[in-house]
Amino acid sequence: MKMPLTFMLNNQQTTLEVDARQTLLEVLRNQGGMTSVHRSCEEGECGACTVLLNEEPVNACLVLAASVQGASVLTSEGLVKNGKPHPLMKAFTDELGIQCGFCTPGMLMNAYALINRAGDNLLTDQVIRKTLEGNLCRCTGYVNIIKSVQTAQKAKLAGEWW
Amino acid sequence: MPDNSAGNNAMKNSVMKNFIGSRAMPDLVYHSPKEMKDLLALVDTHGSSARVVAGCTDFIPSIRTGRWCFDQELNLIDISKMPALNQIEKTDDVLKIGAGVSLTRILASPEVKVHCPVLAQAVEQMASLQVRNTATMGGNICMASPAADTVPPLLVSDAWVIIRDAGGEHKVLLTDFFTGPGRSVLTQGQVLTHICIPVKKNNESAWFQKIGTRTAVIISVVSAAVRVSVSNGIFETARIALGSVAPTPVRVAAAEQFLEGKPLDDQVITECARMAAHAISPISDLRSSKEYRKDVAQTLVKRSIFACREALK
Repeated sequence: MKMPLTFMLNNQQTTLEVDARQTLLEVLRNQGGMTSVHRSCEEGECGACTVLLNEEPVNACLVLAASVQGASVLTSEGLVKNGKPHPLMKAFTDELGIQCGFCTPGMLMNAYALINRAGDNLLTDQVIRKTLEGNLCRCTGYVNIIKSVQTAQKAKLAGEWW
Repeated sequence: MPDNSAGNNAMKNSVMKNFIGSRAMPDLVYHSPKEMKDLLALVDTHGSSARVVAGCTDFIPSIRTGRWCFDQELNLIDISKMPALNQIEKTDDVLKIGAGVSLTRILASPEVKVHCPVLAQAVEQMASLQVRNTATMGGNICMASPAADTVPPLLVSDAWVIIRDAGGEHKVLLTDFFTGPGRSVLTQGQVLTHICIPVKKNNESAWFQKIGTRTAVIISVVSAAVRVSVSNGIFETARIALGSVAPTPVRVAAAEQFLEGKPLDDQVITECARMAAHAISPISDLRSSKEYRKDVAQTLVKRSIFACREALK
């Protein structure tokens, strides 16, 4: 069944013609042009397709596009402001939390929500590991990813954040 | 291809069986009712083509992996937007959880923390944050997986579910709900709307433990939940439930009865755990052997009763 879908995509009201059997992942990649949302396991194991749905991380491969009617969706493209990478992205490159990059957009979105939720509480290794448990990195870069998240939180506490 | 001849379907299914990868979704019509009467009208109208879903975190993988195969168009009825099924309420002695409540909301709920902490303990160890944000209580129960981690805690809490259909509301004890792997007493036209849990009493303690092939984002090899009440140094009531050891999550009555009326001794607890493991006959599958499951079940029951005893000190 074809249907119109209106939602906030990276803070912009967007209307797309979708099929009811499409997942959010397919719509974001194919109609929305958001190719940072990576397609991998398609069963919620890997987290490569993580986006924020109403500010909470979800696996876009496990969400039916039709169900996000009226909701807000943020992908890592939405973190870039005026062509400038987000401080979180900068932290990932500075701390080498990025190797092949396939898991990175999903890691970024989950970490972004985590840092926003945490407020002034400094994120511990344990909390970051538990939160990112649904994001697989096969380059075994977890140590640097955790450092990246901690560095990013410091950037946020220093006021460099959006 | 709109060819629905039986021979062609049989061929398609046998080909699909050996297909590794992500299968296409069937044709769908998406419905998102807001009110109970709209929901009941939809399940009634669409009959066998209706599927009630909420988070879809099990529905989509079931299709992708080929576990479920549909030749006809499905009417997908999404109950996750229904305010009436999205609440956690405490009335008198019962905690009432809507079927559409997400696992993340279970963890965030102060009511659950106070009145059924063992449920929160289990949910915390389930899946990943992304999945917990979408997956629902009702979905975990209705999928009727023998490995559903919310179920052992609910079984030991003497929980029941509320099922709605055109005939009204029915109360079904969770012990009577499951009929096999992926099967329950739910029939066409029926929707599970709420899960009701008697609240925890002061002299009670409950515990959940699971073992998987790793800690994070994993299906249980064995899960165990225990609830005991203690008065004057003896176990007054006992509930022991195990997951992934039978076609459905099960209670082990023999071990429960053994524990009731006995003192809080190490030997009593050890014997009770042995009886629990003796009462089950798990299968070997790709996650574990049956022998390992029996061993682990015994250990988990023992540790859980010890943990309850510790908490009541």
